Amino acid sequence: MKAISKWVVYLLLAILVITQIYPLFWLVLYSLKTNDQILGGSFFSMPTTPQWANYKAAYTSGHYLQYLGNSVLVTCVTLLCVIVFSSMVAYAISRFKWKYGPVVTLIFLMGMMIPMSATLLPLMVIFKNIHILDTRWALILPYIAFSTPISVFILSGFMRGIPAEIEESAFMDGASVYRIFRSIILPVSVPPIMTVIILTFITIWNEYIMAATFISSEKLKTLPFGIYTFVSQYNVNYGAIGAFLILGALPVLLVYFILSERITKGMVAGAVKG
Amino acid sequence: MNVLKVPARTIAVFVLPCLLIYIGLVFVPIIVSVYDSTLNWDGINTAKHIGIDNFKTMFAHDANFWPAVRHTLMYAVFSMLEIPICLFVAALMNRYVKKANTLVSIYFVPVILSTVIIGQLWKTVYNPAEMGGMLNGILNSIGLDSWTRSWLTEPKIAMYCLYVVSLWQYFGYHLLIQFTGVQNIPQEVYEAAKIDGAEGFKSDWYITYPMAVPIFKISIVLAFIGSLQSFDLVWVMTGGGPAHATDTIATLMYTSSFSSNQYGYGSAIATFLVVMCLVVTVIINAVFKKVEAKYS
Repeated sequence: MKAISKWVVYLLLAILVITQIYPLFWLVLYSLKTNDQILGGSFFSMPTTPQWANYKAAYTSGHYLQYLGNSVLVTCVTLLCVIVFSSMVAYAISRFKWKYGPVVTLIFLMGMMIPMSATLLPLMVIFKNIHILDTRWALILPYIAFSTPISVFILSGFMRGIPAEIEESAFMDGASVYRIFRSIILPVSVPPIMTVIILTFITIWNEYIMAATFISSEKLKTLPFGIYTFVSQYNVNYGAIGAFLILGALPVLLVYFILSERITKGMVAGAVKG
Repeated sequence: MNVLKVPARTIAVFVLPCLLIYIGLVFVPIIVSVYDSTLNWDGINTAKHIGIDNFKTMFAHDANFWPAVRHTLMYAVFSMLEIPICLFVAALMNRYVKKANTLVSIYFVPVILSTVIIGQLWKTVYNPAEMGGMLNGILNSIGLDSWTRSWLTEPKIAMYCLYVVSLWQYFGYHLLIQFTGVQNIPQEVYEAAKIDGAEGFKSDWYITYPMAVPIFKISIVLAFIGSLQSFDLVWVMTGGGPAHATDTIATLMYTSSFSSNQYGYGSAIATFLVVMCLVVTVIINAVFKKVEAKYS
């Protein structure tokens, strides 16, 4: 009885692996087929000769590197700002004695409940008025703003637990607050900062709707928006679309392949603390 | 805690850069949105104050509004129904699989991909067989030709097809959260229960599930709030169509504001969305406070 239920469980888990992974695998096959094979061939058929031409078409006609570069740039600048700004705020609200500390904490907490999409329209009007619509700032600034609540929350939760003695003795020795922050607080906060980096990276790297609303120049598009553009332009070249989707998924898959344990841990930490 | 008493200027240096960006790009837009919701404005010409007329239109005259609310709420219901399943699977994995972490990270792969990629992938899955669609291809090859259809263009089923994709994408996410919760239940509790004769499914029922309530709540809140905001997937796969059959609150807001240039009306929908998110968070927290009190 026990052995049977064990195998039933294994079977169930295996089926789940297949349903979660098979569509991606299928997309790889799809991206290596000719249009005729995709349209006419039976569903189970393998590509007869792998059509690397699809990848070439996607790569050359799709500005792939440009989109990728934009995504890297926007994500890196956002990450850097989020780490610096939110750890500073987290330090101030977790360790300083000041009247408005709780209010500021509350303001940041509220931000976690506000849907990004509700700000699209006013942000567009604001960006138009200050002339940053269709620039990278139109992405970086709101990305920073929407990433800070959760980051501040995670970081301040951690910093509250740092023993006060270290800081006090440094203070006695005449170190300034800035110095303490830079040489004591930041170095010990590396684990929660990693969590923040992971959460922000996954969100920002995949963000689509702000990019699609605030950006119109081809040369500024980020990867998700670029994929969307490519798919709508080459809507009959199925193989190339498949290839472009795979190319689009590749960077984040590679990162995940290397750091999967860190990423899953970071996502849980983010979810649980949020 | 709060060990340092520092001058106000230092506090300002630490807090202001972030606070200003945050208030300017999150709070100000929301306030602007609430204000704009009282306007009749196309974004270009002079705006006219019309009081709460936009809300009247929204609640009473817009034939697309309530269906969009219903789709959004059903989205939330389906996402939440997935979580007990995730908890169940997590409990099984904890009991039967030794290296369950690897398994979890495989289930997790769809979570890290962009919704644009997921949406396009599933669009090709749902495509008609003549266009290489996978689902119809499978149905054809197992002799269920009569079941094939154009999944995303039939108003009655398109929405359900979208729910499926969303459940598929976030399965790994909720499973991971539940699994972490289940793993954190101390082993001694199970050993004590074993002595009392509770093993296997019985111990799941009396120990794992009750002890997982706090982590269960987290998934529920995430799923609900996430569903209320559901936009990207719908936008990429159907754009809210055919004929508004798959509109959610967020996509309806987007089409009203950007495609039909009714900025005032779009802002009214956005305001409704914000209020709904806040109210729902408060309600869920209140409900779970009761549930948790019952189990602890």
